[in-house]
Amino acid sequence: MFYHISLEHEIMLHPRYFGPQLMDTVKQKLFTEVEGTCTGKHGFVIAVTTIDNIGAGLIQPGRGFVVYPVKYKAIVFRPFKGEVLDAVVTQVNKVGLFTEIGPLSCFISRHSIPADMQFDQSSNPPCYKTQDEDMVIQQDDEIRLKIVGTRVDATDIFAIGTLMDDYLGLVS
Amino acid sequence: MPTRRFGLLVDMELAERVLCVLRDIGTKASPEEISSVAQGLQEEVLKHVDSTGKSRSVSEEGARSALVVLLLESCKHQLSTQEVSRFLNEQGWTPRNIEAWAKFYNEAKGSVIQVLSSLGNEPPSVVDASWKMDVCLENSGQSKVNEPQWLISLKTLSQTEAFPKDLKFFCKKENLADLVAKLRDAAKHQPEQEEAQSGGGSEAAKSPSRSRSASPASRSSRSGSRSASGSPPPKSRSNSPSSDSEGEAMRKKIKKKKRSEEEEDEPEEEEEESYEDDEDDEEEDRRRKKKRRGAGFIIDEAEVDEDVDDDEGDWEEGAKEVLAQNEKEKGPSARDIENNRRLQMMWQNEKEDEIENYYKMKYADVEEGARHFNDGEHMTDEIAQQTLLPGVKDPNLWMVKCRIGEEKVTLLQLMRKFIAYQFSEKPLQVQSIVAPEHVKGYIYVEAYKQTHVKQIIEGIGNLRLGRYKQQMVPITEMTDVLRVVKEQAQLKPKAWVRFKRTVYKDDIAQVDYVDTAQNMVHLKLIPRIDYSRPRGALRQPNQEEDLKRKKKKRPAAKLFDSDAIRAIGGEITNDGDFLVFEGNRYSRKGFLYKNFALSAIVSEGVKPTLAELEKFEEGVEGMEMEIAASAKIGKENLAHNFATGDVVEVCDGELKHLQGKVMNIEGNTIAIMPNHEDLKDLLEFHAGELRKFFKLGDHVKVISGIYEGDTGLIIRVEENMVVVFSDLSLHELKVSPRDLQLCSEMATGVDSLGQFQYLDMVQLDPQTVGVIVRLEKEHMEVLNMHGNVVRVRPQAVTRRRPSRNAMALDSESNSIQVKDVVNVVDGTHQGKKGEIKHLFRNFAFIHNRQYIENGGIFVCRARNLQLAGGTKVRIFYFFCSLASFMIAGPMGFMSPRIFSPAHPGGGGAGAGAGGGGVGSMGGGVGGMGRGRGRGGSSRDRALIGQTVKITKGPMKGHVGIVKDATEAIVKVELHTNCHTISVDRNRIEQVGAPSRAGSTSTYQRTPSYAGAATPMYGVGSRTPMYGSQTPLYEGSRTPHYGSMTPLHDGSRTPGQSGAWDPTVANTPARTELDEYGYDDPSSPAASPSVGAPYTPHTPGTQYSSDQPYSPYQSTPSPQGFQSSPNPGAYVATPSPIGGYQPAASPQNSFGSSSPSPLGYSSPLTPGSPYNPTTPGTALDLLSTQDWHSTDIEVKIKESYTDSALSGRSGIITGISAGMCSVLLPQDDRTVNIMAEHLEPVTPSRGDRVKVLVGEEREATGQLLSIDNQEGVVKLDSGVVKMLQLRFLCKMKPSD
Repeated sequence: MFYHISLEHEIMLHPRYFGPQLMDTVKQKLFTEVEGTCTGKHGFVIAVTTIDNIGAGLIQPGRGFVVYPVKYKAIVFRPFKGEVLDAVVTQVNKVGLFTEIGPLSCFISRHSIPADMQFDQSSNPPCYKTQDEDMVIQQDDEIRLKIVGTRVDATDIFAIGTLMDDYLGLVS
Repeated sequence: MPTRRFGLLVDMELAERVLCVLRDIGTKASPEEISSVAQGLQEEVLKHVDSTGKSRSVSEEGARSALVVLLLESCKHQLSTQEVSRFLNEQGWTPRNIEAWAKFYNEAKGSVIQVLSSLGNEPPSVVDASWKMDVCLENSGQSKVNEPQWLISLKTLSQTEAFPKDLKFFCKKENLADLVAKLRDAAKHQPEQEEAQSGGGSEAAKSPSRSRSASPASRSSRSGSRSASGSPPPKSRSNSPSSDSEGEAMRKKIKKKKRSEEEEDEPEEEEEESYEDDEDDEEEDRRRKKKRRGAGFIIDEAEVDEDVDDDEGDWEEGAKEVLAQNEKEKGPSARDIENNRRLQMMWQNEKEDEIENYYKMKYADVEEGARHFNDGEHMTDEIAQQTLLPGVKDPNLWMVKCRIGEEKVTLLQLMRKFIAYQFSEKPLQVQSIVAPEHVKGYIYVEAYKQTHVKQIIEGIGNLRLGRYKQQMVPITEMTDVLRVVKEQAQLKPKAWVRFKRTVYKDDIAQVDYVDTAQNMVHLKLIPRIDYSRPRGALRQPNQEEDLKRKKKKRPAAKLFDSDAIRAIGGEITNDGDFLVFEGNRYSRKGFLYKNFALSAIVSEGVKPTLAELEKFEEGVEGMEMEIAASAKIGKENLAHNFATGDVVEVCDGELKHLQGKVMNIEGNTIAIMPNHEDLKDLLEFHAGELRKFFKLGDHVKVISGIYEGDTGLIIRVEENMVVVFSDLSLHELKVSPRDLQLCSEMATGVDSLGQFQYLDMVQLDPQTVGVIVRLEKEHMEVLNMHGNVVRVRPQAVTRRRPSRNAMALDSESNSIQVKDVVNVVDGTHQGKKGEIKHLFRNFAFIHNRQYIENGGIFVCRARNLQLAGGTKVRIFYFFCSLASFMIAGPMGFMSPRIFSPAHPGGGGAGAGAGGGGVGSMGGGVGGMGRGRGRGGSSRDRALIGQTVKITKGPMKGHVGIVKDATEAIVKVELHTNCHTISVDRNRIEQVGAPSRAGSTSTYQRTPSYAGAATPMYGVGSRTPMYGSQTPLYEGSRTPHYGSMTPLHDGSRTPGQSGAWDPTVANTPARTELDEYGYDDPSSPAASPSVGAPYTPHTPGTQYSSDQPYSPYQSTPSPQGFQSSPNPGAYVATPSPIGGYQPAASPQNSFGSSSPSPLGYSSPLTPGSPYNPTTPGTALDLLSTQDWHSTDIEVKIKESYTDSALSGRSGIITGISAGMCSVLLPQDDRTVNIMAEHLEPVTPSRGDRVKVLVGEEREATGQLLSIDNQEGVVKLDSGVVKMLQLRFLCKMKPSD
């Protein structure tokens, strides 16, 4: 699920950037440091939309670095159990499907793929398909899945999904 | 009877009067009179005419009444004539009168009785019966538990009621038996009565007119009896006379005084009459039957008395009315008449509500009466239970201490005592004594007083303990004493039990299945069959005698042997898979399968011995499993692995499938909070009744089993298996739910295997390495360099230290190293991409998260790889720089190759401490190289105390004093604040030393040229330029190359400087070296060779220092230098230009130049690991090369951390992968040193030697002579061979 929330971050700036472009640098650094990261609590930071406030920089004793507390708003993506999402298949093998939902990688075990879909090793590229080849899932296909579990680390989120529900599967 | 009974029946006063009249009659009247009166009387009675008959000689009214009463009463009681006569005699009748009355009575008796019997006040008759059997299982009172009860429902129809009534009551077995007996009795009596009845009937038949005429009487009497319907239904015949007489009396009065009312009543009676007339005969029959049925049935003796009382009361009521003639309205009959009238009115008025009310009232009343009659037996169970609870009036329970285990014996003893005293003068006043099964050490005595208890327990030895103190059980707790505790049999199939008795006593048996309902258990055991006793046809007649003797002897436990059975004549039949012999079933394997009572076995704490287990064979492995299982069960019993907060599911018992959360654990009892809307309280379960419950997507941790410690997400849940998708290895693990636990954290590479970690590189054997792709509890899976996954025990492998300098060349000859991202361009894994985790020789272990197998690790040959990303640029840049050197001139570009290796050496030798120190700091490369050598370390020391400035990193610009220095790191105490920080050596530069102004390379070079060096110094002014350059290089290079940098620096920087610096190019020495330079672009290899030619030239300078060779690894062996000019190496680089590219990748060039990598390394070998000039790969090769062998002399290198040992030589006594035990002969002690800190001692002529590498590895022999770099070795096999001197190592002096 996507959220637009307020976040805070501290930017540490080398003294060499002290100059007329200082604030730009801080902003720039914020973008690079924050966008694309992932926290367990908020999920993936997709994009910083606005920078609300850049606090007063504090010089670090003995080092010359300056720390700016920055308040900003960002769009974050936090996957939840039970959420239905569209994903792109990145890999197909006998244990299941690996998919990507934007920054989130999600695994669909073969146990969570409807039993009528079988792994076909011989086809190129390998795919999961029904007997009548009505539905074929192979790499780069778009599928709709439901997240059944997430593993949240400090810096990453990993999800496992399922296709065993109504309206899940190939999006075409 | 007469008087008394009479008196009882009739009000005494009335009786007195009647008797008085009777006496009067008897004495005064003549027999004729009496008989005539009686005659009329009989007619009157039969016709039921009003008492207003003609008066006779005796005082009319009263006499008639009295006689009527006499007649009725005596008929009612069926008195014989004699009895009546006697009675009358007593009353003073004259014999003649008596006779006359007797005669009359005799005649009238039959018909009067018949008429009486048809009167309405008879008990209701049973028309239908139904029953239900109930068993009460639990009860606060012990008595009724498990006893069947019958709920009997009798449908009764009384004459007075229009609808049948239900009569319900509970009865126990005894009562029922009683009831049945009575019914039977009644049925038996029926014929007799039938006879009597028919007798009566015939009499009635004789005078049909009479019987007809009787009907109105019956009718009217019935209406009279109906008037009593409001009162409890009459139960016995004995009622009839009273109500009858009552009715009679009433009638008289009413007739007299309330005629109008009577008239109102008339229509109703008329109606009824017509109705009755139709069915008259029929009814007569029915009535008779009813009467018969009722005769022996409902009426029983016990009730007669009660009824008599009732009658009395009724009579009293009636009599009072008769006597007190004013209160006419209050009598029941009057009320009844009124009721009837009212009903009539109601019908007429059609007031439904009122009618309804009327009936309600009426029947409600009846109900109440019925309930009363039933004595509350059909009250609800609960209430019935309540009434059974002991109250204050009941005797108390006293708890008496008893010797443990003797409770029951004591009980019997007490019972005998009680019986003995029962009929003595002082019977013991105890109600009961109980010894509940589950109570140990106490018995309970029920008595009213403590003294009674004391009396009975006096003198009983087993109760001595309780003699002084008997504790009273509080009333509220009394029921608990006898509460049956539901003992849950924890007997499970496969469990072991032992027998308590029978021939199998103490034998072990295994539970096949348990039948709790029957309290039976089906066991599998080893039979004890007496094979010595003949059976069947072979049985001998004297058998029986033997039997007794034999019985004492227990047959041995032995598996069933069908042959032996047949031999003794036994018959065996087949039943499916079983053999049946003497009613017992034996499996094919010879085990007996039999049902036993639960009480016959001991199930707790049974631990089969190993011998017993073996007997139960089933194959050893099966057994083991069972043992394991039972051990597990045992363990589970002790410590199940539930934890608070676990989500569990009930898997056994009534609440199966209930889910809940573990809230509390006490031993084996687990309290759970059910996840159910109606269950709000904690429920307790036995651990065995619960199992863990997991849902798809749960993140779990494996807490035991082979995957212990692993974590993952659940992707499938089955009955007894859960598939977990491991976080670490991306494997699917199949685990039992029991071994799982919910957890939020993620396993961080299991380090449960001590030193090993996931993705570590390990040494499988001296030639093979692998990467751990999976760690399990006792095993790990290692992907070896050939791409195979092997499963090994941790003890079988050793961990390899990550080789920082490991380096290889990819398909485009880019050097690649750990952490580089590469694409696989060839081979089985073509098209994949990943990060290099480890390098071993030319094998790269690459990690790719998307690769499923082996946790994403696969192995590739380095040449199948292609470096991805920016590294190429660097290489390109590198080439550019090289190209620029080339432009500068062949000499210039070449010189680096030649010089660079030599320079460091020279630097080490010549410059000693001063110059070298600078070099190490500035150049990085050179410094590193030197650092490893002994000279390097001395330089390190030289660095200590120097003032340095930090040139990079967050602390850039700070100045401090070097407190300590190692080859990679210096500790600098800052000037600014008293912090000592560790700084990378590359990030400092010395402050204030003039020498350091120049770049390292220049300095390094100079010393090596000794005399020629001077000009170099002269060029000192130029050095800054280099200085400025070096950082540039480092800037771009260091991060990428890391460990590689030395190589480039070593070989190149000098070259650059040479290229840039004409002076360098001009150095006299160079001209000579040029040739080499051309020939050998791959400087590292060449470097030693370069050194060699010099050696003779500058003996003085080079060797002037204490350890002239120390800067080089090769230094220990001067021969090493000589051997170094390896022709092959030169050949390899025919063209300088061609040589250039390879220059970037020394190894590559080597590869092409000589067939075996070993060959390459070998020229460099002895010293190469320490040779600053050697590229990282070479180092790696050397370090990985396993030359170590036992019994050879080695020298401990400078690199060894313990400086006290470095430089010492010793003898390898043992090798355990990676570690060598080195015996230091001087100290006579053994130390363990990592293999890479050792170097072989080059033998001298005549020494015993061991071949370290090559085909002859491990061969021993004698070094006959040394020819240049080769030694002539006479091997022990007798063969004389020429071998590279560096392949040889001096052996320990033979004792």
